[in-house]
Amino acid sequence: MAESQQAEYRKAESRIAESQQVASPPADLPPLDALDALDALGPRGPYRTRKRATVTDVTGTPRAELSLVPGLFAERTAKALRSAPPLPPDQRAAALGRAAILFATGTVDGRGIDEHERTVSRVSGLPLTVVRDATRNIATRLAAAHGSADRARPRGAVPSWREAAEGDGSAVWARRGEVFAVHAAGNHPGTHSLWPEALALGHRVMVRPSRREPFTPHRLISALRTAGFGADRVALLPTDHDQAGAVLRAADLGMVYGGDEVVRKYAGDPRVLPQGPGRSKILLAGDSDWRDHLDTVVASVSHHGGTGCVNTTAVYVEETAPGTAAAFTAALAERLGALPVLPPQDEKAVLPVQPAATAQAIARHLQQRAGSARRFSPADAVADLGDGSAVLRPAVHLVDGPDAPQLGAELPFPCVWVAPWTPRDGVAPLRGSLVLTAVTEREELIGRLLDEPTISNLYLGDTPTYRIEPGLPHDGYLAEFLMHSKSVIKTPSNH
Amino acid sequence: MTLNGTEILNPPPGVRPDPDQFVRAAMQWHFSPETGSPYWLHRAGSLGFDPRTDVRTHADLALFPNVAGELRDVPAQDLIPRGYGSRPDVVGVYESGGTTGAPKRVVLLRDWLDRMLAWSNEQLDAHGFPRGLNWLGTVPSGPHIVGEYFRRSAATHGTHGFTVDLDPRWVKRLIAEGRGKEAGAYAEHIVDQAAEVLRSQDIGVLTITPPLLERLAARDELVELVNKKVRAIRWGGTQLDPDTRDLYRDEIFPDTVFSGNYGSTMILGFAGERPGLGPDDPCVFDTLSPFVTFEVVDPEADGTDGTGGAYGINEPVPYGSRGRVVAHHVSASFLLPNNLERDTAIRVPALGEGPGDAVADIAPVTEFENETVIEGVY
Repeated sequence: MAESQQAEYRKAESRIAESQQVASPPADLPPLDALDALDALGPRGPYRTRKRATVTDVTGTPRAELSLVPGLFAERTAKALRSAPPLPPDQRAAALGRAAILFATGTVDGRGIDEHERTVSRVSGLPLTVVRDATRNIATRLAAAHGSADRARPRGAVPSWREAAEGDGSAVWARRGEVFAVHAAGNHPGTHSLWPEALALGHRVMVRPSRREPFTPHRLISALRTAGFGADRVALLPTDHDQAGAVLRAADLGMVYGGDEVVRKYAGDPRVLPQGPGRSKILLAGDSDWRDHLDTVVASVSHHGGTGCVNTTAVYVEETAPGTAAAFTAALAERLGALPVLPPQDEKAVLPVQPAATAQAIARHLQQRAGSARRFSPADAVADLGDGSAVLRPAVHLVDGPDAPQLGAELPFPCVWVAPWTPRDGVAPLRGSLVLTAVTEREELIGRLLDEPTISNLYLGDTPTYRIEPGLPHDGYLAEFLMHSKSVIKTPSNH
Repeated sequence: MTLNGTEILNPPPGVRPDPDQFVRAAMQWHFSPETGSPYWLHRAGSLGFDPRTDVRTHADLALFPNVAGELRDVPAQDLIPRGYGSRPDVVGVYESGGTTGAPKRVVLLRDWLDRMLAWSNEQLDAHGFPRGLNWLGTVPSGPHIVGEYFRRSAATHGTHGFTVDLDPRWVKRLIAEGRGKEAGAYAEHIVDQAAEVLRSQDIGVLTITPPLLERLAARDELVELVNKKVRAIRWGGTQLDPDTRDLYRDEIFPDTVFSGNYGSTMILGFAGERPGLGPDDPCVFDTLSPFVTFEVVDPEADGTDGTGGAYGINEPVPYGSRGRVVAHHVSASFLLPNNLERDTAIRVPALGEGPGDAVADIAPVTEFENETVIEGVY
């Protein structure tokens, strides 16, 4: 990261951390009088529809009524956004900075940050501390978005045609489209830290939130609007399932979060960037002792409540002696098994909570997928909290070999598969990873891992897979998708 | 006014027969060997009751099984009541959309068409559709009854009817096969043709389906043309959700009369939007009762065990609740009671004393998602 940007980023981070400490939080959410109305945020302001979905928390208590817009409204919003000129670049950067502070510390739509975070925690089932970390991460990345986005600009390209050289000309970095649609994810608020880079680049953005957790994008987009983007440059368009396609169709470019099916569906569509399962992995090669890296593995599996695409799904342990992988798995299960079972709003909670029925369904699916894998965690991953919700406790399994089918099963809680690995198995089992942490110093292996195109990010040494740095690509730079370079040659006129 | 049996079944315009007398007259007509259709006369043998003596009231229509599925295979001529003589005035044979399985066939006779049309034209007047305008219809023709009603409405309420053809079965098939892009291209092809008519002709009434209207509304030039020329829009054929309807009425076509109908081949016509609804009222549809009546019943009823008898599909939901639509058609020309439609609706009290329900906020039958776990964290 460039030093100036690094400094800017750290400055934003500390400013946001400071402002976060000002208010002393109330004990819990205020009692519910009436259901909160979460309106769509259209080009002329908040838009309340007749069709609404009730957003419930993990205990089944209704928390908000979310307005669901029809396809025609998405179409009209895209049109309005397309006709709104982008703000000048310096104003975009300034507005993103203001939005970061407002999002993390201000009162947005009548709601303070503490109430917001408690609501998100209750609704998503994410531990409160995870939600607070996410607030800080979103805000700091927002403040740094302008600089981060520019990191993707090819060295040969200038940011504006005005800067193109006379005579021989220049490459100019230009948008591939004006309106960018996002089918957002609801697993973790942090997923909303990526798309604001599109605003930094001058795109107008419309976000279809997850119906599971629409509060974070609602607050973020309200803050962005107040901070200077206005109602016609960034919009929130909740829809029901069958209108979701309309949001994508109305835009010029889109990004969609989802499973393998979503990835397959959009594989042939150059206008859509699918964000599929992360299947992040750790390789513990035999040139170091796994005991030295157990902390990093535990954190990589369980940080964020294990709900992120950057959480570790599989660990490959070099079988230097028979039983190495099994010994590692036992130690990992013991550490993860010590994590406390608590409701999400508890300050000490670290594990994710789901509605009890959902948790049971996930556990059943896990059991089916596990098959003959050897389980090192307690038999039942579900710890019922008795209020309609249940904690998903870590699941730790050892599989037979590095090609076992279970290793691809990514589930939204700390669920990890361990496989024995030997150098003969090579790189093949490690393919298809959003993040691969390779604990090894074998240079030839590192080179092959870097050359493997389906490994998106390669972390070396004792680096947790969840580490995300602004200015570094997440799954490639988003801007690689949003922008392209074109030649601009200016010939001075003779008169 | 006292009417005899045939008069009760064919009352002059504006005269509403007593619904129970009407049903009894219809049973006499459809199940007497001299007047009934070959289909019903044959089917009567396996009903397990005698409609002429056992069906005394409108509510007794619940005794009939749902025979709609049999109309896939019945020879169309067997559906014509013998009472129409040897040279019945047949307008045409029409088919259902064919969404679920092979299409079902019905026969449209002239007297019913005229009755439906007279009622429909009165409804259009009540909505404020000016008479004598040119109409443009982007509705299917061929085997689809809606095309015939469009043509006849344009000719009787308006002056000239311009048409753009479309094949809804092909669209459904494309969508079912995951060829959404091709379906979209086909829809744009239809809008392109409608645009040519709108540009060159003096069109005052537009009849269109909601999906095509949405595509038309995405083109600024066409919105402008419609706002300049078209005085009234009549939509139908698929559902229109209340929020989209608001957008059309408030923002996109604010000065255009906007009125819907809810049609079904199996009722040989349609229900019309109730005139005079307020801006916040749901879109309510009324039928030409007692010839066509709806009931809104328990959505759990599947109605597939058509073995006869009162088998529970007619348990109504409370007013204001959503249920499945059951339609009855009872006229001299045709009898089809207890047809379970694919749609759900909010049950609303009918105008006057009924029988039957009005329906609002039509929506397709929803299939509930099961608890399948999709792998991944999103």
